[in-house]
Amino acid sequence: MITNYFKTAYRNIARNKFYTFLNVLGLSIGFTVFIFIFLFVKDELTYDTYHKNKDRIYRIASDFNIANKPEQFAIVPVPMGPALKLEYPEVEKFCRMSPVGDALIKYNNKEFYEPDIYVADSTVFDIFTHKFILGDAKQSLNRPNTIVLTQKFATKYFGQENPMGKSLKTGDGTSLMVSGVIEDLPENSHMKFSALISLVTRANAIGVEQFNSLSPNMFWNIGLYTFLLMEEGHTMDGIHEKFPQFYKKYMASIGDQINASFNLLSMPLTEIHLNSNLSSELPTGNKSFVLILIAVAVFILAIAAINYMNMATARSIKRAREVGIRKVMGALRGQLIRQFLSESVLLAFISMLIAVFVVYILMNDFNALAAKDLSLNLGSELGVVFLITIFIGLVSGSYPAFYLSNFIPVKVLKGTVSGGSKNSGLLRKVLVVFQFFMAIVMIIGTLIVSGQLQFLKSKDLGYNKEDIVILQMQDTGFRNKHEIFRKELLTNPNIIDATNTMGYPGNISAIQVVRVEGENKMVDDACLLAHVDFNFLKVFDIKIIEGRGFDRSMGTDKMEAVVINEAAVKKFNWEGKAIGKKIHYGFDLQGNVRRPLKVIGVMQDFHFKSLKNNVEAVMFFISQQPRFYMAIKINGNNQKETLNFIEKKWNEFGANRPFSSEFLTQQLDDMYTAESKVGTIFRIVTILTIFIALLGLLGLSSFITEQRTKEIGIRKILGAGIPTILQLLAKEFIILIGLAFMIAIPVSWWQFDKWLNNSFVYFKEIDWVVFFIGGLIALVVGLLTISYHIIKAASSNPVDAIKYE
Amino acid sequence: MIKTVKLSKVFRTDEVETTALNEVSFEINKGEFVAIMGPSGCGKSTLLNILGLLDNPTTGEYFFLENEVSKHSEKQRANLRKKNIGFVFQNFNLIDELNVYENVELPLIYLGYSSSERKKRVEEVLEQMNILHRKKHFPLQLSGGQQQRVAVARAVVANPELILADEPTGNLDSAHGEEVMNLLEGLNKKGTTIIMVTHSQRDAEYAQRIIRLFDGQIINENIKKTAAK
Repeated sequence: MITNYFKTAYRNIARNKFYTFLNVLGLSIGFTVFIFIFLFVKDELTYDTYHKNKDRIYRIASDFNIANKPEQFAIVPVPMGPALKLEYPEVEKFCRMSPVGDALIKYNNKEFYEPDIYVADSTVFDIFTHKFILGDAKQSLNRPNTIVLTQKFATKYFGQENPMGKSLKTGDGTSLMVSGVIEDLPENSHMKFSALISLVTRANAIGVEQFNSLSPNMFWNIGLYTFLLMEEGHTMDGIHEKFPQFYKKYMASIGDQINASFNLLSMPLTEIHLNSNLSSELPTGNKSFVLILIAVAVFILAIAAINYMNMATARSIKRAREVGIRKVMGALRGQLIRQFLSESVLLAFISMLIAVFVVYILMNDFNALAAKDLSLNLGSELGVVFLITIFIGLVSGSYPAFYLSNFIPVKVLKGTVSGGSKNSGLLRKVLVVFQFFMAIVMIIGTLIVSGQLQFLKSKDLGYNKEDIVILQMQDTGFRNKHEIFRKELLTNPNIIDATNTMGYPGNISAIQVVRVEGENKMVDDACLLAHVDFNFLKVFDIKIIEGRGFDRSMGTDKMEAVVINEAAVKKFNWEGKAIGKKIHYGFDLQGNVRRPLKVIGVMQDFHFKSLKNNVEAVMFFISQQPRFYMAIKINGNNQKETLNFIEKKWNEFGANRPFSSEFLTQQLDDMYTAESKVGTIFRIVTILTIFIALLGLLGLSSFITEQRTKEIGIRKILGAGIPTILQLLAKEFIILIGLAFMIAIPVSWWQFDKWLNNSFVYFKEIDWVVFFIGGLIALVVGLLTISYHIIKAASSNPVDAIKYE
Repeated sequence: MIKTVKLSKVFRTDEVETTALNEVSFEINKGEFVAIMGPSGCGKSTLLNILGLLDNPTTGEYFFLENEVSKHSEKQRANLRKKNIGFVFQNFNLIDELNVYENVELPLIYLGYSSSERKKRVEEVLEQMNILHRKKHFPLQLSGGQQQRVAVARAVVANPELILADEPTGNLDSAHGEEVMNLLEGLNKKGTTIIMVTHSQRDAEYAQRIIRLFDGQIINENIKKTAAK
């Protein structure tokens, strides 16, 4: 019996090459997209799950409230881990980790910047699961100046050499002895370190006693990522419950003085990647992006399945006779249903085979787009691939199967069932409307997303961001020479200005408690800030709307002057009277002020964070110490040569590091990587969605014209021209697309308005034109698709059409 | 074998009610060859469909093999049908996607025969219909007469008690038509009951009895010859 099913299925598939082609193409694209999304989503959902202790590992985090400004950080004070372990026996182990930042590492004549080195407690290998290739987990990080490398890192410096016991040098001359080599981290680790330096190394540098101190002031500096391994059977709940006593014991004495409080946060390790959005978080995934992708996968498979349903039911006239005969021969309905289902399942398998092949071919491109290192392992994913194929085969075959098998033999053999009974015609229309609804939503979405991306890149941020080169001055000696370095740079006519600063727009994150002038006393408040020099405001073209900017000729500016933005004026309630107000910065516990500042100017608000954030209060003042960054404003002439010049000076001045520079615009664009990823994916998926929908439309229009061939012939004999016939047959589709359009407008407006409002503080309002364009694109491509068959039918010889019966 | 008592069939659409069969009563014995004749629209095909268990009557009783079947569900009818009735149609109704062998094999598949039994039986009957050399051909590669021979082969392959033929020669030229009628007559001689709807007086000559229908009623029932056995 089953061989008979598949034989007929195969013959039907082979005989109707055109429709088979349309269906297989649509399903293959659908499956290809599905597999890619499946791999991506699976990867996103399995972050950090490879650790044996994953269910017992928590990362603790900070919830500071300073001067009523709540701020949550993914890192906690240095003594938090040790103190929690001391107080609570259910904490089995703790491990503190912290990135070293762009570190220069040298071995013999090889030197590279390494962005992913961390310091870590020696417990790291007890808590997390990493496999040692060389060395020993217990001994590797318990001494100062030791480093454990991942395999890739080891090969980069040592090649085939055995690295054990050899020393790497850092930029500041410290020696680090290699005490172990571990396997490279799986791609789905939220903390992707390339090497670990023992935390005792840092403790030694600071002073072991101070580093290990549990005194209250140590608890008010945030510092390290800290992970807890809980004893079997314990969660964090108990600790959160008992934390108020802990706070009282270790932290309250200072908290009360500075009008601040602290609460402990925690999150299971495996949830960090998709659920954490704290400050100082490592790069995380984007949960809404994952959800969008899942929706997209469902969408595109639905559209492909609908194609099959539509074409199968439209073809029902042709199959009806077969059904009738089989029934007369004694076939039961269930047998016919099984027969039709085996046909759709067979087709689904053919499509899946093609999809798997395509996935293998496109894997690298997909990885480049998704910034991942995924691969399709058919061995382990076979179950999923198999199930989804069967599922889609059954779903897309189900309606046709039930519909076709329900034919009454007497009627179909007499020929009184026409191609679709009223019901199937209606369902087909509903399905077409549904497909076009999705296609139009996708088109509108693409237009809105790319419009917003354009907006992000082109919006006037309130300062000059063009042609600014950012350098990091890591070497202290180099940093100390910043003033003559700047002077030397300015000898080049293509270099307009330069400023040595601790932060710049796009990279201002230091936040500090300050005292500001209130009604009749100084009050505590928190404010973002950056130490700058006299040239800062000029280099970035920041506008002063009240008072003045920094002025070298004013002797007091160096010590006292501070400029604030409009948001700060509002925050401190200084509207209209900000100039001359006092801000106290850097006071000790006795209340002695280190830097009493006076406001000399108010800056027009500018977007120093991404457009996803509000403009917050910020203040700039001149610091005595040299600052970390050099921002250089150049002109548009021969920028390559200008950069070469800067590099030359960099080396002359003994920066002690390989030259590296970046344009500010590049860094700003990086703030929207997630959004531009969404944009790219939307574009690709939209094109595919429309394409699949059009395949369906092509098949459907072919059937409908075929069905009406006789009518067309008669109409032509009676004098109808091609345009009249085109109009007659296209009218129905235009109505369907129009209907889809009407539903798509409110749905897409609602969805994308929500997305804009949730993701951005500043965005381009949705323009009604995008809806219009979306509908128009759908209509035009839809009409072009159906015209092919209609025109072919309308131009044929009418006699042939009549003879057709 | 077949007995109908006041069999009626009424078709209703929203506005019109058409009586296709009006209290038709008759009996057909095992081994008979009966022709049903009458003008277009007299109810011939409706009667044949009911006799063939493809449709239920609106009122009246239908005894098939001594069982009252007029209220049977499609599933019950399908089971009776596939065991006992073979069909031959005017337009052959072969499945274009299946070849000659597979078309003839179909009833046996639904009856659950094993593949070796099917092979034996199908080749036997194809041989009998003198079409075995065409078993790999598809219907569209055959002449009308050959197609109808395949259809007859399919109708008899499961050894049914009854063959219902609806204008079996309607689409054939006279030579091929005669061929098919000879086949049917041969089957009847071997004991198969045959009921045939026809317009052709010549074809009706093969039957032992002619039932004439007009406007859904029997107007004449004449017995021409005695039954074969």
